[in-house]
Amino acid sequence: MLVPVLAIGGLGVVAVMGVVAAFVITGWIGQPIPVLGFEQTFDQPIDFPHTVHASLKQLDHVPADGQAMEGLGLDCTFCHRTVTTQANAGVPPVGFCATCHQVIGADGNPQLDILRDAADIIGDDGPEPVNWQRVHRLPDHVRFVHEPHIRYLTANPSEVKNTTDGVATGPSGVCSTCHGNVAAMEQVEQVEPLKMGQCVDCHRDNGAPTDCVACHH
Amino acid sequence: MATAEFGSHNWGMVVDVDKCIGCNACVIACQAENNIPLNSQDRVERARTISWIRVERYWEGDFPDAKARFIPIMCQHCENAPCEPVCPVYATYHNSEGMNVQVYNRCVGTRYCANGCPYIVRFFNYWEPVWPESLRNHLNPDVTVRSRGIMEKCSFCVHRIRRESRSARSAGTEIADGAVQTACSSACPTSALNFGNFNDPDSKVSKMKEDKRHYTLLDQFGTDPNVIYLAKIDADKKVGSGAAASHD
Repeated sequence: MLVPVLAIGGLGVVAVMGVVAAFVITGWIGQPIPVLGFEQTFDQPIDFPHTVHASLKQLDHVPADGQAMEGLGLDCTFCHRTVTTQANAGVPPVGFCATCHQVIGADGNPQLDILRDAADIIGDDGPEPVNWQRVHRLPDHVRFVHEPHIRYLTANPSEVKNTTDGVATGPSGVCSTCHGNVAAMEQVEQVEPLKMGQCVDCHRDNGAPTDCVACHH
Repeated sequence: MATAEFGSHNWGMVVDVDKCIGCNACVIACQAENNIPLNSQDRVERARTISWIRVERYWEGDFPDAKARFIPIMCQHCENAPCEPVCPVYATYHNSEGMNVQVYNRCVGTRYCANGCPYIVRFFNYWEPVWPESLRNHLNPDVTVRSRGIMEKCSFCVHRIRRESRSARSAGTEIADGAVQTACSSACPTSALNFGNFNDPDSKVSKMKEDKRHYTLLDQFGTDPNVIYLAKIDADKKVGSGAAASHD
């Protein structure tokens, strides 16, 4: 890398240092600029559109039969079932998707075929899990539990940040505080920095413990 | 609901030495609960073992009248802890619930705290912890796996405290006395180890520590531990006359 930089002279050095500085500064403040594999969106094994499932609005998404459609407006907890009771929100098993999708959705839709193959509705290679890529990930030394956060925000809707195109009451309406407007995302990305500063600010504003062992243990 | 809030407890332990039979169940329970690396032969030979709680054995008297004495020793969670002021990065500090807390992600591994501790209950990770393949899925997901180069010690099973306080707040109730049990105290077959809230005068541990047998380890250092010991009762001697019970 260094040789071509030297070959084009001082301007190249300044440009490279500028990219490095931009990476460090943006990474310090929020998300680093998406170079070197630091992208905040991931290509999922299935192009799962949260818009179709969670949004309540008219969609740009046009399904295979060519008719424009509205989102279904499913509650987040319809699929992420353990979010109100446990640490993890939970990703539904393939069989859960298949309860709807063995009849809903056109035959031959290539994305649904991946799902139906995984659920053993079509094909003959048996059921297999879908290897979803995790988008929101906290470091290993942080113990985050969804349950108290959902409980508190549901009881105190004035603390909910960001708006959602999906269901706005109950647990679904509070998820946008940290996850952004997922109901409007064709491909889920992390929009909040979800760094300790953001956690501590919110904990301080809402009287939650700011002791280190509240999360680090 | 108020007592489920953070900071309204003073967690502590009362160890009835008279009940301890030296079975080491607490040691094993702690090892399993807190993702402590296995103390392999190699590590034992190098005196680099990690055990957040240990049962020390002493012989009293001469053969054939020798008697074995056991005393479980874990982090004493001192109110006046020698480990805390020496940490240059505030990785160990005293929290408002009476616990001496180790924050793994702050620790830079100076080992000053371990050198300061008179109870020798702080352990340094000299190597990256490894488990055999068969034990990979046995790790406790509530406890951070400590990597190489940082200090660790008994946490009073703080993840269990957090879990109980969370479910109490969820249910809108208080944390009941005895609801929080550390791994060692729940494993103890003779109830020698008792965990609870010293702020509640009616709790089991608050009543136990009023026992006239009570003493604290190495109290000449003035560390003011949150772990209270109750002295061994010996049929041959008067209560509290042992060397360890000189405090009372």
